[in-house]
Amino acid sequence: MIDKSILEIHEALKDGTITSEELVGESLNKSKEIQEKYNAFVTIIDDAKGTGITESLISGIPFGVKDNFSTKDILTTGSSNTLNNYVPIFNATAVEKLLDAGAVITNKTVLDEFGLGGTGTTGHTGIVKNPWDRTRMCAGSSSGSACAVAAGVYPFALGSDTGDSVRKPAAYCGIVGYKPTYGMISRFGLFPFASSLDHVGVLTRNVEDAAIVTDIMKGKDSHDMTTWDSSNIHLKEALTRDVKGKTLFYIKELCDINNYDNPSKELVEHLDNFHKTLGLCKELGIEVFEESIDQKILNAIGSVYVVISCAEATSNLSNLTGIIYGPRSDKKNINEMMIDYRTKGFSPLIKRRLVIGSYVLQKENQEKYFKNAQKLRRMIVNIMKEFYKAYDGLILPVSCGPAKLLDGSIDKVSREAMALEDHLQIGNFGGFPSITIPNGFVDNLPVGVNITGNCYDDENILNLAYALESKMPYKNQIAKEVN
Amino acid sequence: MSKFTKEMVDSYANKLLFNLTEEENQMVLDEFEVIDKTIDLINKIDGIDKLEPMTHALDDFAVDLRDDISEESIELKDALGNAGAVEGREIEVPKVVE
Repeated sequence: MIDKSILEIHEALKDGTITSEELVGESLNKSKEIQEKYNAFVTIIDDAKGTGITESLISGIPFGVKDNFSTKDILTTGSSNTLNNYVPIFNATAVEKLLDAGAVITNKTVLDEFGLGGTGTTGHTGIVKNPWDRTRMCAGSSSGSACAVAAGVYPFALGSDTGDSVRKPAAYCGIVGYKPTYGMISRFGLFPFASSLDHVGVLTRNVEDAAIVTDIMKGKDSHDMTTWDSSNIHLKEALTRDVKGKTLFYIKELCDINNYDNPSKELVEHLDNFHKTLGLCKELGIEVFEESIDQKILNAIGSVYVVISCAEATSNLSNLTGIIYGPRSDKKNINEMMIDYRTKGFSPLIKRRLVIGSYVLQKENQEKYFKNAQKLRRMIVNIMKEFYKAYDGLILPVSCGPAKLLDGSIDKVSREAMALEDHLQIGNFGGFPSITIPNGFVDNLPVGVNITGNCYDDENILNLAYALESKMPYKNQIAKEVN
Repeated sequence: MSKFTKEMVDSYANKLLFNLTEEENQMVLDEFEVIDKTIDLINKIDGIDKLEPMTHALDDFAVDLRDDISEESIELKDALGNAGAVEGREIEVPKVVE
């Protein structure tokens, strides 16, 4: 039963076909099986207990929490050795709201250390493997959450998304990944990575479940001044609106195979599949248009992201001293203690990103690197906002194809294809609502399509995604190993 | 010759209170070269100089200031619970002034 949708499970709980206690047991057993195969969890909560069933659709239902969300009295590491013994004294607001609604946490999921990575390979507990093919990555940073939802451990898990950390793992694992407009869900209790880009998101196996969970988590929070009143937004209710006459656009430079020199077979199939998906949109009565963006701007998306996110991370991770929390160094001098703790605790990838952040923030470099990256961020967001005056949303393929091999194949992505890898970061630059849904298979592995809309237009974006999902047979799919 | 040096990278790392291995230092040097080239491209994009830096995802924040009312604070045992060494009401650290 645990691999069904939220509504199906809720009905079964209400009519007594299953109890919350039994569901929790199922989720825990499945967690252990999945941990053995794919290493998706930092902590499995063996003593998790079922709850009473109420009118709340998620009451009694197990879920997973990315290990960068504070969970009261439960180890929360950020998948980093710097916090490998940290036990928060409070719940993140997003977690608290789900618990208040009666849901049950059965595990904490692995991420790339503090969210600073997109491969699922840098967490302190090891690599997360893809549940469709163990030789491939889940992407990241919400790797464990995506893996577990795809494998049917529970119907939903929390993720966070600073560049594409919910939406790309969703594509690689064949599930749904949604990050709402910036500030719709409180970030209180989420370990900050890059505060101007960080979003709370959710991973599910269908669009309706994403709407249900987000309806519960969203809302203004006095602990997060960037949250806003979304009481007039009802995502689940809006799903079934008619999409006929709505409009989507795609970016020619990213979607035209002729724009790539020596495209891989996977890219050819992925883009071909994407164009078939556009055909399904048209069958729904959605009008689809091609637009163009300067290739120079598209090629710079990744660098804008790296410069801004690394700079913000440098500041956000400066509180990790090993003094008030984290494993303490045995050095005899306080400065040496901090250096020892940070040198041993941070992985090479994090150190690299922090040094870049420090470099671009130096007084003599700020204008050239940091400020100009912020200016290009504005230019990109302005371009998107102009498009959103004419269209309901942007539709694009996610990544260059299915999940990449864990043996370092990511380095083989050609330069022109990098923009296809990076474009989801636009959603973070502008705080835009953005959802990935599965749209088929390439080499027997799942691939995804993404729809991104204007700020506060979440109902519209989920409405479009829900309609498109109904035209394809991938809703509620559970990962099965193909290789 | 690259304008980035090993010593430069080490000095940035030291400002951040960590050390780098030779291998980690080289990784940073390689990435600096890539970022530098891309930033040059960014700086050449038409119209960029006329824009204000975008520092946040939303430009239309409506920030409500809270009333200045004291709230319940966390318990002392909670505040100290994650510290590696505690003495009485305080977190213990080695002597700072030697």
